[in-house]
Amino acid sequence: MRHESSLSQVQAATNFSEPAPLHATTRAEIDASLRFPVLLFFRTALFWLLLGSILCTITSLKLVVPCFLDGINFLSYGRLLPVALDALLYGWAIPAGLGISLWLIARLCGRSLRCTKILVAATLFWNIGVFLGSLGILCGYGTSVPWLEYPNWASIPLFIAFLLMGVWVVLLFLARQPRSIYITQWYLLLGLCAFPWLYATSNMLLTWGSVQASAQGPIIAWYSANIFGLFLIPLALGIIYYLIPKITGAAIYSYYLAVLGFFSLLLLAGWSGMTLFLGGPIPVWMVSASVVATMLMMIPVAAVILNYAKMIQGQAAALKESPALRFIAFGIIAYFVATLLNLAYAIPTWNGILHFTHYSNGVVLLTLLGFVSMVLFAGMYYIAPRLFGFSWLCACSIRCHFWFAVVGLSLMVTSMTLGGLIEGLALDDAAITFVNVLSFAAPWRWLNVIAWMLLLLSYVSFVRLFGKMLFRATHPDQKASACSFNPLASVS
Amino acid sequence: MNRLRPLFITIALLFFAGWLGFVAYSYLQLGRLAPQVESDGSLPPLQSGSAIRGAKVYAAEGCMTCHSQQVRQTSVTPSDIDRNWGKRPSVARDYLRDQVAFLGTSRIGPDLSNVGVRFTDPIWYYRHLYEPTAVVPGSNMPAYRYLFKMQKIQGQPSEEAIVLTGPHAPKEGYEVVPTEEAKDLVAYLLSRKQDYTLPEVPPVPEK
Ligand code: HEC
Repeated sequence: MRHESSLSQVQAATNFSEPAPLHATTRAEIDASLRFPVLLFFRTALFWLLLGSILCTITSLKLVVPCFLDGINFLSYGRLLPVALDALLYGWAIPAGLGISLWLIARLCGRSLRCTKILVAATLFWNIGVFLGSLGILCGYGTSVPWLEYPNWASIPLFIAFLLMGVWVVLLFLARQPRSIYITQWYLLLGLCAFPWLYATSNMLLTWGSVQASAQGPIIAWYSANIFGLFLIPLALGIIYYLIPKITGAAIYSYYLAVLGFFSLLLLAGWSGMTLFLGGPIPVWMVSASVVATMLMMIPVAAVILNYAKMIQGQAAALKESPALRFIAFGIIAYFVATLLNLAYAIPTWNGILHFTHYSNGVVLLTLLGFVSMVLFAGMYYIAPRLFGFSWLCACSIRCHFWFAVVGLSLMVTSMTLGGLIEGLALDDAAITFVNVLSFAAPWRWLNVIAWMLLLLSYVSFVRLFGKMLFRATHPDQKASACSFNPLASVS
Repeated sequence: MNRLRPLFITIALLFFAGWLGFVAYSYLQLGRLAPQVESDGSLPPLQSGSAIRGAKVYAAEGCMTCHSQQVRQTSVTPSDIDRNWGKRPSVARDYLRDQVAFLGTSRIGPDLSNVGVRFTDPIWYYRHLYEPTAVVPGSNMPAYRYLFKMQKIQGQPSEEAIVLTGPHAPKEGYEVVPTEEAKDLVAYLLSRKQDYTLPEVPPVPEK
């Protein structure tokens, strides 16, 4: 296998021990240069997070109460759902991930950022792209290609803006001061280089219509899987590899596992995903390859999780102290559960039952909101106080954010997977008429509405807290609110 | 940097392997499938202009968020065929004439790959799109009333007018008729038929 031979090279070229500590003045310089752009990323991301989850709540309600807001074209289910999901992906997860990556890369490379104006312009450009794309869907120009629903012209500003934002990460990397590379940098670079390629080729082939429809199935499945497997998941894994050692002071448990985790993910992620059309009109060998890849996916997942678990082990105090670590811990569990659920979904006979129910969407949402987003929140909890220059203002908001998210996500996953299973069993029995299948699914869909409401509460409390921080930063003379909390106490 | 180059190349190769396997292969192989030429035309049959425009409406309205268009292999599950959603599994060539393959990933509503075989009367579709619950009690499909217009009856009532009772019925002297979009959409739905045979997929024996 390829990666075996390169193990020694990786070890030679990389420094897997803790991210190198920087001098305090360098740190301050970096933070000052990144303050405005990174906070701008966070602000726009939080706007889309809120909008996306409000729309998701509405659509989940529409599914059980179809007459809710019905008969209005731009509020119909089929238009709102893609807007909501794309807002969560392109509006929230990607900019938040980029903002965190920029900061991490700058810190790891010991370099502050210059020419931030271009970066700021690119962020705005990206957000205009997301906005126009969403508007396009609402006005009836959606493409109905999964995760690429924006009208094809909206992909141009998005693509250019991403290049303009991503190029900073690459420039910072090339100019790095400590020459050795930490595992986080590997993951972040992988994700940031993968996205333009994923996005450009899929858009060219699918929304610009240069490939015959008979060939679109595998490309759709490839994009939907890899936007997570090769982009968002590597970003999240990289962020975790940075944050845990910084928060707990523990060194990486095993170099070997870290390398194994990275390369086996890279090897397998690109080949998974065809299970989305298992039994459908795509070549059988593709499905078989993906079934195998999905099974083997346990290797990279086990490798990283083992590494993380060993680093968190025995850190009960840090877990209590640091909100970032708590979000990470939940994210890791969500990643593990999502992998198991994916594994079950890849077993052909089980897939026959689970396919086309809420199950698969449940796993996608668990990955996006339970794993990636929780890690992004962790990143924000760690980074934002350093940019603001003061610590989080209100511990109870953080608790609300965390616990509503935990309960909401758990309820969502249960309702979608268990409900999906029951719906699937009903669908599989042709003696049950379709309308009767709906009544099997309905109670679970109600639970899903409740889950979305809880998640919305969770996000609202974070956005409120973030807003308070912003207000405090611009009005330094005002007194802080009553409850205060100091996550900075334990770390530098 | 020199030490890193082989590493970067390895990473790029691993990354592109999946792309070559799935994307490039699809483009080169599935993208070049040709219609099956028969003595009386080619399969799958060509679509009318109205149906092609209707596919755009189908995309714009996001019908795909609830409806799939694929009948699965019987080795995975026989239930698609048992539910009368098709007589045989779908294959890549069935989508040859479409602009976008609306394969779909969820079935909140029934599969539509052969809906044109099941329902052949356009008026049925109009009625259903206008008010699904009036046609299928208990349905949770959204109502697409905005694809219809209410107009004053001039002389003879229009042939396409839908007969309505209940809360959404038109006032005295008015009628509800489909817009061009609704007509195109229904033309598209009526064209959803995989009722021909292709050599790569033998018909499933009747039980
Ligand atoms: C919220 C999900 C949802 C959306 C969006 C949706 N449908 Fe449906 N559809 C259903 C459900 C549920 C049924 C089954 C109950 C019924 O027949 O009304 C159904 C049934 C149908 C049927 C009858 C199929 C059969 O075999 O009985 C047709 C045709 C149909 N839908 C077309 C459409 C079209 C066209 C659109 C887009 C304009 C659309 N649907 C959008 C949920 C949806």
